[in-house]
Amino acid sequence: MLKKLLWVLVACCWASYSYSDGINPYYGYTGNAAVNGLSWNMRDVLPSPPGLDINGVIYNYTIRKQTEDSVTVNVQNENISGTGYIFRERDEWKPGSLDGTQINKVVPVVPSNRSLWGDGSIEVQGNGSVEDARVLYTYRVDPCYDPQYSPQCPGYKVIIPDIEIVDYEIYDATADAYTQNACVEGDTSSQCVAQKDDDDEGESEEEKEEREAEEEKDRKERLEEALAEADNSAMFANALAQSQILAAIDAARNINSYYAKTISGGVYNETISLPRTELPDNKQGLRNGLAQQLLHQQMVQSQYEK
Amino acid sequence: MSTKILKLAVLGTIGLTSFAQAETVPITGQVESRCVIVTDTAGVYGNPNAYTLTTDPSQGGVESVVRFDVTLADSYYARITSPTEFSSSPNLPDVVTWTGNTEVDAVSDASTMGTYESNKIQYGNTDQYDLTATGSTWFKTSSEAVLGGSRPYPGGNYTALVLAECIAK
Repeated sequence: MLKKLLWVLVACCWASYSYSDGINPYYGYTGNAAVNGLSWNMRDVLPSPPGLDINGVIYNYTIRKQTEDSVTVNVQNENISGTGYIFRERDEWKPGSLDGTQINKVVPVVPSNRSLWGDGSIEVQGNGSVEDARVLYTYRVDPCYDPQYSPQCPGYKVIIPDIEIVDYEIYDATADAYTQNACVEGDTSSQCVAQKDDDDEGESEEEKEEREAEEEKDRKERLEEALAEADNSAMFANALAQSQILAAIDAARNINSYYAKTISGGVYNETISLPRTELPDNKQGLRNGLAQQLLHQQMVQSQYEK
Repeated sequence: MSTKILKLAVLGTIGLTSFAQAETVPITGQVESRCVIVTDTAGVYGNPNAYTLTTDPSQGGVESVVRFDVTLADSYYARITSPTEFSSSPNLPDVVTWTGNTEVDAVSDASTMGTYESNKIQYGNTDQYDLTATGSTWFKTSSEAVLGGSRPYPGGNYTALVLAECIAK
């Protein structure tokens, strides 16, 4: 008996755990749709999730009218999928209702997806107006509206990408024409012998001579090209050797050893001493100065002599 | 253990059935009011001069707002009385002259409640509204108290009460 009860208890707990493991819907409400005027675009009002169902409209405004006037106010949303309105709430302000009276209204609606809700507006019919309008939409969001939103959503499918099947052509090297023609003269392998026999069969004497002459010509050309390549290689090797010799010579003139010289530290005292504190005039300089002065005067004087 | 209890219970039942019995069966019920009054905004007195207390918003006051929620149409009156005395205040040196008014601030249905204000009945400081429709109605009440002789109010806290009643027809 106790075991049965335990099993029932476990089953109940398991069920409740499974329920809470999913992604639950959440609820919310929009900002004031009429903040910029008496008409609005629902795309600017509703949040972005696609699985959003509008389940109510809350609005309030203040009526402006003369007491004796009759005014009708419609708060409405167009129906996108058809004609008319998906939501329309009518307020009839009859004669006798006073100017400045507010209306606060909560209107539940059958939940419907956002895609059905067109542009909204407050329409005033009659001699009056509304002010301080405020329109809010309450909504419910089902995150699993798109099952691919999460692996926890019912109906979620693991997407396997389509890989394009490429029909590759397999290359058979043994079937390559160049490989088959690779048999050289004197090749005694069975394949080449068989190939040679096949080639020789059905070939006339004249064709055979022509082919052999062609082969001889090709052989000479190949030899010429090979010699030319060898000559070029030798020249390249010579140039490389010369550059290496020059590099070796440069290495002998390495001046790094000069940079590595160091000056021994310590104090370097002044080696010139002046026993007398007075410095006499240089008499030779004085003589030189007088001589320069005399020469100068002679030069000046020579101008007048002319 | 549980088997023993079961046996005792059976015996007890047999024993009881051998006597005549009388029982009184209660019938309970709960009636929820179809008219609910909720304070939406508590009023505040402003003090524009020494001898005046007023809820006029232009003079620093706040008008009180009370909401009536009615779920049964044409069955109730809303009766709202603005204050005619302070419920608590310092000792006053003179008499106070009271004025007050109540009016519809907002409705939840214009078609059926839009004329509440024009159809109201006033007597003294009391305004009576005929709640002919279901829904919510917000009433705001203003109050002003002027102390006689233009004498200044003594310092202290002053409280006055707005009486809101929902009366069955």
